[in-house]
Amino acid sequence: MNKRILVSILLLLVLSVLLAACGGGGNDVIRIGINAPLTGDNPKVGEGTKYAAEMWLEDINAAGGLEVGGKMYQVELVTEDNEYKAESATKANTKLITQDEVLLIIGPQSSQQAVPAGGVANDNKTPMISPWSTNPNTTLNRPWVFRTPFLDPFQGPVVANFATEQFGATKAAVLYDVASDYPKGLAEFFKAAWEENHGAGSVVAFESFTTKDQDFSAQLTKIKESGADFIFTPQYYSEVPLIVQQAHELGWDKPIVGSDSWGSAELVNLCGDDCDGLFFSTHYAAAGATGATKAFIDRYNEKYGYVPDDVGALTWDTLLLAQQAIQDCGEITGDLAVDRQCVRDALANIKDFHGITGDMTFTPEGDPIKCAVIVRISDAGEFEFFEQVCP
Amino acid sequence: MTAQTIQKSKNGGRLRLWWQSVWSRFDDVPLLGWLIGALVAVGLEYAVGRPFAQLLGMRKSPALFGFLFILKEPWLIPSAIVYVAVMTILPIAALAKATASFANKTATALLRASTLLSVAVHLILLYAILYIWCDILPYRLIVVKLTLIAIVITLSLNVVNGYMGEFSCSHPGFISLGAYGASVVTILVFDDPSPWLFPLALIVGGIVAALGALLVAIPSFRTRGDYLAIISLAFTFIIKSFIENLEFVGGPRGLGGQPNWASLPVVFIVTIIAIWIINNFVRSILGKALNAVRDNEAAADAMTVNTQRTKMTAFLFSAFWAGVAGGLLAHVLAFINPASFGLQKLAEVLAMVYFGGLNSVVGSIVGAVSLNLLGEMLRPLEIWKWIVIPLMLILMMIYRPTGLVAFKEFDIVALLQPKQTTKGEQ
Repeated sequence: MNKRILVSILLLLVLSVLLAACGGGGNDVIRIGINAPLTGDNPKVGEGTKYAAEMWLEDINAAGGLEVGGKMYQVELVTEDNEYKAESATKANTKLITQDEVLLIIGPQSSQQAVPAGGVANDNKTPMISPWSTNPNTTLNRPWVFRTPFLDPFQGPVVANFATEQFGATKAAVLYDVASDYPKGLAEFFKAAWEENHGAGSVVAFESFTTKDQDFSAQLTKIKESGADFIFTPQYYSEVPLIVQQAHELGWDKPIVGSDSWGSAELVNLCGDDCDGLFFSTHYAAAGATGATKAFIDRYNEKYGYVPDDVGALTWDTLLLAQQAIQDCGEITGDLAVDRQCVRDALANIKDFHGITGDMTFTPEGDPIKCAVIVRISDAGEFEFFEQVCP
Repeated sequence: MTAQTIQKSKNGGRLRLWWQSVWSRFDDVPLLGWLIGALVAVGLEYAVGRPFAQLLGMRKSPALFGFLFILKEPWLIPSAIVYVAVMTILPIAALAKATASFANKTATALLRASTLLSVAVHLILLYAILYIWCDILPYRLIVVKLTLIAIVITLSLNVVNGYMGEFSCSHPGFISLGAYGASVVTILVFDDPSPWLFPLALIVGGIVAALGALLVAIPSFRTRGDYLAIISLAFTFIIKSFIENLEFVGGPRGLGGQPNWASLPVVFIVTIIAIWIINNFVRSILGKALNAVRDNEAAADAMTVNTQRTKMTAFLFSAFWAGVAGGLLAHVLAFINPASFGLQKLAEVLAMVYFGGLNSVVGSIVGAVSLNLLGEMLRPLEIWKWIVIPLMLILMMIYRPTGLVAFKEFDIVALLQPKQTTKGEQ
């Protein structure tokens, strides 16, 4: 009895191994790694990445594969969870590069993961494009690492110039999270840009708080008393509504301006009418979008039930960028080292790429030169295009 | 369905008997025999692993015993099982059995010559196994390195939470102090540092962490239990905020570009030294005094134990090793930022300590290795991983409240003993 079971198990094993051995995929597969925070502190970011990638893969499959140099290749996405942790992102990247043998990697999104993971990609000579990371260290001295968002040193002056022209402001106030790298970096770049135009001391209040703070009345009171013409607060969608509402309760009626971190559908849900009429700089405007951008937004909205955040749009652009680089490469030899080198060179040579978040050309550093968009939150709570600012 | 279940449970009982009978055949295999078996197995995998994997329909050899196939490519599970059986289990078992008598004789001779020699031979074998195993697939290398570092962290926390019986939550703070201390030495202090500086950097990291521990210890050691837990938790947050506001180490942006010095041999040697010193520490008079303080502080005091000094020494000692581990971590990742050393890190290290077992060096090693490997093996489960692992922890707390291998002394000589002494020697 026991023996018969053992024998049948063994037989089954042998049979399935034979099946696997025969059915093993051919060489005409291009594998692309996705390194995203599917679990951890920021699962929404991972979700946006995953959805955009799924949509892209759908397109590729509908076309019967990816055509490179007159030959069709199947595309396989290998998605790894980085748990929003630096260690995990490094492990995931190592796995993607050495174990799954991907051609290139999309992600990680946040700088906290993208900086260490970029080191792994660069050491292993594998192209990596981060769709969201704005920390200069991600691409610094790393010829193999690229990114699709514009950098904070560009966005800071954009907001400063906009506020000067739009409000005729001369005195600025900044409220930011000192413990989070993105707001802090942007706040500092903004301050530098503002003081260059308006002289030292023209940022009359430079107030900070710490991640997960809920009460900003002390800082806002100070800002109100400082006589600033507007507040710049480069915070995330969970904090902005609290800041705006508390400012209005304290009697603040001057403008509040934000940055690309505002660009989430959740913002309007949480903020209600308080955010109407406010401006922020970002990668693209969802409302009133045209052409490819509109097509992407509508499709995403229909499929997943909400307007995509900028992470989704940037990931989409990143995937198209990767696709173009692979196609520009002209030939997939099957030798990974050669193909990766070829894709990297193709990426570096891409000029005037038409993405849904704007046209891009890469600097030798691997950073894009692209335009920013100023968005106004309409009375209906939509993100309306207001103006475009190009470098 | 029900008949099947009954059949299954019956088989379960029989399976256990069968398992025991199989296991009893390996009673006479000493540690040396297992190591020889493992060495040959990794050698075999090194030589023919990849072609064999391709023969079975896999692109590459399964990295972590085939676990990564669970969800992504389930049709490859049988291939992975065959691969692991042929490449790992069978050669180890066969060789361990075949060389048992030779291994026993060698183990006896080695122990007779000197314990140190015996330990050295075993360690060299262990290192060789790890080295070849990691050399086959680079992905294993990073997993092994981070696991070894986790062992040091877990051990150091066990000194306080297990041997001293206090619930300290300040370990992420100590790790970050060590990571930043070591990184400052290798990045900021010297323009063109040489790798020989690395031990110094690690020691500086350890000392910085120990100084931090002194800062917590002075005000908080007047309290015990919950109060110490809260103060130490506060310390973790203070350190995080402190580093976030230190501009010269990058603030919240973090500090990157550490030189690539934490190679496998370096991490391995540091881990072995840490295990050796911590094991000696907890088995010394001071370690016993520590246990006495844990069980009854007043009684220990009455028995002439200087309780305050004992606690202080143990706490600083624990922080020192956490700092060294932090220094290693920074150089493995080549990037650190304060946000990595928050509550999540705390939960991770606490889980490893309590899963492995309190008051036990072996327990810490088991806890760190099992949770690290498990976390990696279950990676394809994505969100489900965070249901499986906590569930395991809960079950553990119900059935073994003190952890897997708690309250057990790590006796290295007993571990290296040949297994046939009763017959051959006396």
